[in-house]
Amino acid sequence: MEVFIQAWNYFLNRREFLFETLGDHFMLVVWATLIVIIIGVPVGILISRTDRLKEIVIGTVGVFYTIPILALLGFLITIMGVGTRPALLALVLYGLLPVVRNTCVGILQVPEMTKEAALGMGVNNLQMLFKVELPLSFPVIFAGIRTAMVMNFSLATYAVFIGAGGMGRVIMQGIRTYNTGMLLAGIILVVVATVSLDRLVGYLDNRVQRKFSLVE
Amino acid sequence: MTREISVELRNVDKVYDTAKVVDGVSFSIKKGEVLVLIGPSGCGKTTTLKMINQIIPHTAGNILVNGEDVTKLDPVELRRSIGYVIQYIGLLPHLTIEENINFVLQLTKRPKKEQQERALELIETVGLPADYLKRFPRALSGGQQQRVGVARALAADPAILLMDEPFGAVDPLTREQLQNELMRLQETIKKTIVFVTHDMQEAFKIGDRIGIMKEGKLVAMGSSMELVNSDDEFVRDFIGRGALFDVLDTISVTRVLRKDIPTIREGEHFDKESKMNGWDNILVLDERDAFLGYVSIENIDASGKISGDAVQRVADAFPAELSIKKAIEEMLYGGRTWLPVAGDDRVFKGIVTFDSCAGLLSKEGGS
Repeated sequence: MEVFIQAWNYFLNRREFLFETLGDHFMLVVWATLIVIIIGVPVGILISRTDRLKEIVIGTVGVFYTIPILALLGFLITIMGVGTRPALLALVLYGLLPVVRNTCVGILQVPEMTKEAALGMGVNNLQMLFKVELPLSFPVIFAGIRTAMVMNFSLATYAVFIGAGGMGRVIMQGIRTYNTGMLLAGIILVVVATVSLDRLVGYLDNRVQRKFSLVE
Repeated sequence: MTREISVELRNVDKVYDTAKVVDGVSFSIKKGEVLVLIGPSGCGKTTTLKMINQIIPHTAGNILVNGEDVTKLDPVELRRSIGYVIQYIGLLPHLTIEENINFVLQLTKRPKKEQQERALELIETVGLPADYLKRFPRALSGGQQQRVGVARALAADPAILLMDEPFGAVDPLTREQLQNELMRLQETIKKTIVFVTHDMQEAFKIGDRIGIMKEGKLVAMGSSMELVNSDDEFVRDFIGRGALFDVLDTISVTRVLRKDIPTIREGEHFDKESKMNGWDNILVLDERDAFLGYVSIENIDASGKISGDAVQRVADAFPAELSIKKAIEEMLYGGRTWLPVAGDDRVFKGIVTFDSCAGLLSKEGGS
């Protein structure tokens, strides 16, 4: 129990530092997720149009996804040095797979009959995309974004190895300085934040599904 | 009687790789006419329908809509000007019924107020309560969804409707109801309708003309009576032996009414010399022209008055919706040779006789 009291004391004393670090961590993830959406959704739409392209792109982003995070960060240091930018790039590369794949799958699962009915009513290509395909695949795309975001929130703790701050810094410093209070405070905070984020996005997901009336 | 041609196909082919799924199909549809395309699955009927609004582009030949070659029109504009109803309905699940009905109006950016009014008007036209407008498609039954599908197709008031097995996915009772509603609706909206089905009875019921397709070719085209009288073996096999009675069940007795029979209002005088037209009996009507009975010519005295109680009272007149098949059954089982027919307002319209029914069978072939 002693350690929890230490952690609580650390938390009370270093509140500002902890929340500032959590804020950095969060912003890193938000930026990474935004970039992932900006790149991933259009790519997912594009590759849903051709089977050939789909295989190549899904294969490529799948490879990024399987590279161990430390290996990727190490590689990025050799070409980009240390700092926030390579950390951001790493998170973007990891986040692409769920978003690209879900966008593509989401668009492909829109029923042919629905698309044909819309075509028969006279939608043009853009209207087909924005009025039919995207709204109907939105829940699937959103689920991909949710996966990417929550995963990136965990992965961002590694950003400390590339000098990009975030909650990893609190944890690593706690380990190095044998400061168990600091270590535990950092761990609990990052766990609570990750779970809360997942819940929040999950709640939004549910709202989205309701809005698009796909669940009761 | 010449009417404007609404849709015309001239020698149209559709080739996929090596398979010719539509082979030299030609026909034309007059404005306000209902043409049914029917045939075994894979005969090319649906492909033919979808080439009209260019959902499937044709390989060869010409397709004209209101006299214009469809390949020279913007396909998006073409489709917006043609109503389209498909079997699986294809309502957009994320839009309310109102937004679904207004989909085309929204695509063409019509004013919101107009859209709302139109949706309200159409939901009533297809017989659904107005509060359904705010619901989502998922909350509706198949039959109700298809009603919305029809309303949606009518939203932009297109002159032409393409219907691809629209009632194929609903239960038989709902199907019959939807068919009846479509026919009732057609009486007022008078659209040009191309209707694809695999149900022969549906074709007889709905079609002004029926085209039978087989292996991509249009093998027969004509009214239901013409098809029943066809000598073509495939056509006879396809429509089946009982077809004649199916057809007669879809034709109302108004087609064979005899109106030349003399009538007299109760209590009035009758001029025997000039009005008998060769009939031996006179029908008696009341002061509102509702049918009462008949009286033999012998029971009318020289002054033209009906003597005493000579009027033979018979059961009420039959409604004009009575089908010829039902009329024949009524006469056979009831031991009668003629039936009086009246309109909704009970006003006497004429009589149907065995001879007039039989006349249809021989006459129809050429008409």
